[in-house]
Amino acid sequence: MRSKQGGTDSRSSAWLAENGAVAALVVLVIALSLLSSDFLSLTNLLNVGVQAAVTAILAFGSTFVIVTGGIDLSVGSVAALSAITLAWTATEGGLPWPAAVVLSLATGVACGLVNAVLIAYGKLPPFIATLAMLGIARGLALVISQGSPISMPEAVSHLGDTVGRFLPIPVLVMLVMGVVAAIILNRTFPGRAMYAIGGNEEAARLSGIKVSRIKLITYALSGAFAAVAGVVLASRLASAQPQAAAGYELDAIAAVVIGGASLSGGKGRALGTLVGALILAVLRNGLNLLSVSAFWQQVVIGVVIALAVLVDTLRRRGTN
Amino acid sequence: MSEATLRAEGLTKSFPGVRALDGVDLSLRAGEVHVLLGENGAGKSTLIKILSGAYRPDEGRVLMDGRPVEIRDAGDARRLGISTIYQEFNLVPDLSVAENLSLGRLPRRFGLVDTAAMQRRARELLERVDVRVDPRTPVRRLGIARMQMVEIAKALSLDARVLIMDEPTAVLTTGEVGKLFAIVRRLRDEGVAIVFITHHLEEIAEIGDRVTVLRDGRSVAEVPAGTPQDELVRLMVGRPVDQQFPRRPAELGEPLLSVRGLTRRGAFDDVSFEVRAGEVVGLAGLVGAGRTEVARAVFGADRYDAGEVFVRGRRLPPHDVHAAMEAGLGLVPEDRKGQGLVLGAGIGENLGLVTLRDATRAGFVDLKGQRTAAARVAEQLGIRMTGLDQEVRTLSGGNQQKVVIGKWLAAQAGVLILDEPTRGVDVAAKVEIYQLVNALTDSGHAVLMISSDLPEVLGMSDRILVMARGRLVGELRADEATQDGVMALAVTDVAGSRAE
Amino acid sequence: MRIPAIVMALALGLAACGGGGGDGLELGMSVSTLNNPYFVQLRDGAQEQADKLGATLTVTDAQNDASQQVNQVQNFTSQNMKAIILNPVDSDAAAPAVTAAERVNVPVIAVDRGVNGVEVAQTVASDNVAGGKLAAQELAKQMGEQGQAVVLQGTPGTSASRDRGRGFEEGIKAFPNIQVVARQPADFDRAKGLDVMTNLLQSHPDVTGVFAENDEMALGAIRALGSRAGKQVKVVGFDGTPHGLTAVKDGTLAATIAQQPRLLGQQAVEAAVKLARGEQVEKTVAVPVKVATKANVGEFETS
Repeated sequence: MRSKQGGTDSRSSAWLAENGAVAALVVLVIALSLLSSDFLSLTNLLNVGVQAAVTAILAFGSTFVIVTGGIDLSVGSVAALSAITLAWTATEGGLPWPAAVVLSLATGVACGLVNAVLIAYGKLPPFIATLAMLGIARGLALVISQGSPISMPEAVSHLGDTVGRFLPIPVLVMLVMGVVAAIILNRTFPGRAMYAIGGNEEAARLSGIKVSRIKLITYALSGAFAAVAGVVLASRLASAQPQAAAGYELDAIAAVVIGGASLSGGKGRALGTLVGALILAVLRNGLNLLSVSAFWQQVVIGVVIALAVLVDTLRRRGTN
Repeated sequence: MSEATLRAEGLTKSFPGVRALDGVDLSLRAGEVHVLLGENGAGKSTLIKILSGAYRPDEGRVLMDGRPVEIRDAGDARRLGISTIYQEFNLVPDLSVAENLSLGRLPRRFGLVDTAAMQRRARELLERVDVRVDPRTPVRRLGIARMQMVEIAKALSLDARVLIMDEPTAVLTTGEVGKLFAIVRRLRDEGVAIVFITHHLEEIAEIGDRVTVLRDGRSVAEVPAGTPQDELVRLMVGRPVDQQFPRRPAELGEPLLSVRGLTRRGAFDDVSFEVRAGEVVGLAGLVGAGRTEVARAVFGADRYDAGEVFVRGRRLPPHDVHAAMEAGLGLVPEDRKGQGLVLGAGIGENLGLVTLRDATRAGFVDLKGQRTAAARVAEQLGIRMTGLDQEVRTLSGGNQQKVVIGKWLAAQAGVLILDEPTRGVDVAAKVEIYQLVNALTDSGHAVLMISSDLPEVLGMSDRILVMARGRLVGELRADEATQDGVMALAVTDVAGSRAE
Repeated sequence: MRIPAIVMALALGLAACGGGGGDGLELGMSVSTLNNPYFVQLRDGAQEQADKLGATLTVTDAQNDASQQVNQVQNFTSQNMKAIILNPVDSDAAAPAVTAAERVNVPVIAVDRGVNGVEVAQTVASDNVAGGKLAAQELAKQMGEQGQAVVLQGTPGTSASRDRGRGFEEGIKAFPNIQVVARQPADFDRAKGLDVMTNLLQSHPDVTGVFAENDEMALGAIRALGSRAGKQVKVVGFDGTPHGLTAVKDGTLAATIAQQPRLLGQQAVEAAVKLARGEQVEKTVAVPVKVATKANVGEFETS
């Protein structure tokens, strides 16, 4: 951004209005820099990036779903199941690790396809279909792992390391997945069709868009992104855990909505989602740095989520 | 006549970038039907929203019985006896008629809802509007016409002294309009002051007493309802409109759309017809005769049990919108907002909806090409907008309709099915849509037009098909057809006499 | 509706078969969660002991939901279980379940966590407060009785977090040269342990000691510390899970306060069988906690 004069540069204020989440992130970063001298260092900011990675990747997948006006509650469980699948097939199953990785992604896609079939053809509400998958995937992860963590294959665990001296691979994976999500949403037929379906499903159908097929793609993508998130999470810990990522679906949904998407569909962008995930990560990091008491942390996080979305909706209302 | 029941003086209301009302005056007497006339965007909606408490004016005041009043919200309006019936009804579809009529004021006995009292009250009210319906029926199951009567009954239950009706006839068939008028006259005779908004000029003389014409947010004239139609149009548009229905027949070519024996049990039966290149075929009939159902089945939006649809001689698979679209068929649906548009998306996005898949190269949508095409179509249709990114939601009805038609032009659909293409569209935009239909047939397109507006069907079609109770009951040449002739067919009792 | 009912019956039947058969005494056991290796071991110990004593043990998973646990205990009473082993989700919320069982004269044994407000036949638990104290002493010893330490707390509000934290605070007071510079929650979760430790290292780079209220968080912290773990920075965990003990063997985890979940399970089943046969048992059995360090880790089972 260039410098503003008198704070009424209409173009930059319009840009901010479009990107309320960015404004919230900037405010948060400035506040934390003032409150904690440890916050604004390259290492710490990279840490924040690493800590945002899993949520962000899950949230990119959820962005597709939320843009179509749906919801996917199963992403946390699917992430755990995919990671367990990878670790189990590579260790117990004796598969070479590349095959295990492919199988793990396939697991995520399969879970997404089951969701989509229940929703698009079984006409279940997305909330219910993915709630069922939340239980099924978590249960299968426990069944396969017998309730215990499984070590990740060495080769895959490097995903949790850094390139060169300091660039963390999870951050790279997050950025790559973000670019992929942005390209799919902005530049491909399924992506544009997702917006049309979320905006008005009947109008999309009567414009020749095969709604059920697009939904299959949407939920399959969500499952695939969840699988990637699960593998990144497990790589960071060098261990796949059946109870990993429990409750992360709510963080993912929060990130998407903070990023400016509407739960009623038709709106949402990958960049916004990234910012939403960063807001959550910055917040958790800052609370640790400031040694805020355990009981207050949850209160603060809840308040910031509500404020971020409120600021965004108020700004939008102001401009319309 | 008596002193004004309600008087508005110098009402002014601005929204960011627009002055919606600019010093509007309106005087409303007890026992009159006061028609509010104006193009879309002239300020009618803003005016009635101020009177019903949805908006507050920037300047000006409202007087009831000569005393200034404040209408801060819907509750204030209700206490003052002002009731408004919007085009989108305020009914809860899954509750019964009786519950809807008592909503917010359910009669209670021992803390429980007193069902008997509620139904008694409902029966009285329904009688006043002359509707015979069981008060226990869920509103969802009533047709549009009867829902409207329930809305009127609801207004009566609030002891309305002023009744505002926003385009009540837009969704009604001719017979239903007659019935509505009878009720309106009865209420007028009971001393209710009625504000009546309509786009149908011929209705004005029939039902109205006085007319206030709005243009660009100003009240430009108050004239008697007997004023000639072309004079009303001149006042409304600010210039004379040459011709209301400028149909210009084109040279007919080969049949582009053939429908044979199309049947869906309970909806339509054995429907066969053809539409040729360069031809406009009007599909007339009462609401509920099965016209929309046939159109949707032809387009593949709904299934059918028997029959065949051919486009340019090729048979379409049933219930496959995509195949219909590929074959060159386009549907402009009756419910523009609900089925035709993605309201929250931009104009460009909507215009490109149909061509999205074909504009995909190597997995990527050619966004630049899509935008160029959208800009061309928007220009061709004369869509008034601030830019291709303007949300469709913010457009007037006429411009919205142009966007829906435009997405099929962008897709170069050869056969267009237009379902109520000018409903809720103002006079000037109507004429533009008609001219567009002319341009389409000139370039060899075929048009099937469903309309409940008889003058429109007669004025714009080359051939008229009439449906009644799910069957085609007659075919008329446009130059020979009269409104009475079409109506006579439309009310045919098919059960007794199988037509043709 | 017929077909779904059949499918459901089949599914339930299959799930029931997984529990295993056998004759003899029927015992019920409701575990707070099987979503944690520690409780899986607890169950395994109980199952082994039941097999050994010829009793049939039915285990249910309350999924950390106290109300679900009450239902499970009530179901046990209607299944005519001879004794019920309860591993409470919440010490306070478990009282109604116990009352319901004792009303029909089914004895209840609480394991790992006590039940507040009503009396149970026996409470088998390791002493979390004592364990916290032991952890403080071991950490202090390894830190050379000086330096800065941080605490990774468990899920806020749980009794395990409360008791272990209290024990640690009491124990660490004896070492005036050790400063506890931060106490932050990581919810007993490994991924959160990693993130929170990473963040704390930013604000407190000179930390030389970490107490994590369970091994999962300790393993996360070790991941955050990288090569410093076990060398410049000593980490002490709690629970003695197989992964925790492996880390002790490897030298990355300085020590863990080993509970003996298998032993807890075995003790509970033993008491249950005795009670079912009408014998008397002690009111409380304290299963010892032990400090596991590299020196003695071989004594602990790591299967």
